[in-house]
Amino acid sequence: MAYVAVKGGEQAIQNAEALFHRMKAQPTAAFIAQIHETLPYLVDRVMGEGSLYDPELAALAIAQAGGDLFEAVLLLRAYRSTQPRIAYAQTVRQDELFTVRRISATFKDIPSGQVLGPTLDYSHRLLNFGLLSEEASPAPEIDLADRTPADSHYPAVADWMRANRLLPQIEAASEINGADIPDVTRDTLSIPAPRAHRLQSLARADTGGVLALGYASMRGYGMVHPTVNELRLGYADVRVPHPLHGGYFNIGRVRVSQAEVVTKDSASFRAGFSATLGWNEVKLIAASTLDMEMNAPAHPAHTEDFVLYHTESVEASGFCIHFKLPHYVTFASSTDAVRGAQPTDAVLEDGQTMGGGH
Amino acid sequence: MTLASLVKPQDTYSYGFLDGHAKRELRRRILKAIAIPGYQVPYASRELPIARGWGTGGLQVTLTLVTPQDTVKVIDQGADDSVNAANLRRFIARMSGAHTTTDTHAATLIQSRHRIPEEQLTEGQTLILQVPDPEPLRYIDADMARARQMHADTDYSPIWLVLYEQLVRYRRYVQGASYPSMVHHRYVMSPSPIPRWDTPKLHQAAHLTILSAGREKRLYAVPPYTDVHPLEFSDVPFEVENQDGWMCFRTGARQQFMNELPQADGSTRYELSDTGYAEKLLTHPQAPSDTYYTEGRFYHDGFLKPPRRLA
Repeated sequence: MAYVAVKGGEQAIQNAEALFHRMKAQPTAAFIAQIHETLPYLVDRVMGEGSLYDPELAALAIAQAGGDLFEAVLLLRAYRSTQPRIAYAQTVRQDELFTVRRISATFKDIPSGQVLGPTLDYSHRLLNFGLLSEEASPAPEIDLADRTPADSHYPAVADWMRANRLLPQIEAASEINGADIPDVTRDTLSIPAPRAHRLQSLARADTGGVLALGYASMRGYGMVHPTVNELRLGYADVRVPHPLHGGYFNIGRVRVSQAEVVTKDSASFRAGFSATLGWNEVKLIAASTLDMEMNAPAHPAHTEDFVLYHTESVEASGFCIHFKLPHYVTFASSTDAVRGAQPTDAVLEDGQTMGGGH
Repeated sequence: MTLASLVKPQDTYSYGFLDGHAKRELRRRILKAIAIPGYQVPYASRELPIARGWGTGGLQVTLTLVTPQDTVKVIDQGADDSVNAANLRRFIARMSGAHTTTDTHAATLIQSRHRIPEEQLTEGQTLILQVPDPEPLRYIDADMARARQMHADTDYSPIWLVLYEQLVRYRRYVQGASYPSMVHHRYVMSPSPIPRWDTPKLHQAAHLTILSAGREKRLYAVPPYTDVHPLEFSDVPFEVENQDGWMCFRTGARQQFMNELPQADGSTRYELSDTGYAEKLLTHPQAPSDTYYTEGRFYHDGFLKPPRRLA
């Protein structure tokens, strides 16, 4: 089918979309429910980058997009655009998180203890061919004999560090009015960014993008060693004001994760933090490293513009795929300039032009 | 009362897709942009059900302005039936119930990627240009805060330096599309990647132009009857693309912006880039409409100066 149809561009795009769906099986409601139940980490990633907490819709988006995650995130974001803001939830403090995993690399043991929780960190990465057999295999047993349940709530490791003067003191937070927090989905991200925008951007940033820049900072373009002060997976209660009776009530729990890393400057420690909807540990370690390093001496991976703009999943992927669109008019303009150019002796390198190539 | 009763049903959308808050914000930003011609106004820029970078900036403006009484034309590289133009038009019509057209004169709103139609736009029409990069200083300094400072100070010397270096190296300006232009003697703007052929059409135009970058979250405007000058030194005039001798193989037209079509036998054919205009020439050749250029002459006499080549 023609790319710029002489006529019939509309028919072409409708057929192209139909063909996309015909070249794969159609998802069923049961399949979508299965995505939600069996692939929670995938659903979490899409919800985090989509900045919309709705596992069912995230599973739907993944299924509808045929598993293309950038498309799935865009579906959620576009849906999110249509939703009114009906309330601001109450601030959730770290010691209020229903925590299932909480580890710290800074100390062998920490107040209230390390909790390994659910993780594949120490699994042998061997394909489990048994899953390919017809029979559904039961989940592995957990030996609970002689075990006391772990606590459900934990203090922040950073509080202990502050009490011991290892991290700078922060003022006790006063009650925060949700409507006063700068919101990167309602305001332009301008640089220098308010810290709220920075943390929100990192929370919804592309996992791969954050990892690439965070890794660059750790590996050779910064050489920072982020020691994980505390990494948590848990559930946060969402408490909103009652529209009629006043007071706060609980509308449910969301899966959240957070990471805090510290590094030593000459004679003090400083910390970086990030948190996101869903459980996504690698993103948060990278993101909290970037949070810590974005004010460090200049390297692209240390500047807010570079990090926050280029890890925006929907914008980065959308712009990248826009190069599939016809560009023949702008190309013609460049062709004209190239044909008319008469290089002089002064030409030492490629001529400088100002972004005419779009 | 339940929570569900507080939110609207899952599968319905507001008129024009965007909710009332988003539209109100856009309208305020558009008014500000009109009040300060060429100044980039930041806006929140919501995600739309169209890939980011595919015209979502223009689309947010169109969806904000459109009413059921409007007639909308959407073009991409001059073509109404280009796949992305067709897709945006389908979406606008689906969300607004507005009429659509390929006729430049019949349209009240024209959303365009990288072209301004050949036929003169008139008062009351609004042209919405999709913008990939609103910042003409990006090439000079990628740091957005510093670029903003340079605009505030009217410090455009680095752009002039780039143009000067082009003359030194190539004896002419080698800028392609997105030719930086001074808006009403105050702000330098990127006119979006329209060809240089289209840039002068913004000068003292009868219509309103709104330029909007969704990904970069900035919009700006050229109100009707505003001066827009492509940057040029007084002794080396700005030049549009030279397509002398090119003739549209479908309409026989000359001296309008052409697409160059490489042929298998090594030759080249040319066709009008503006498909709506081409359609008109083919169906009503006896009733020509007013175009910005007639036989190569721009309609504002003297605005484009004869080329002068450096020795």
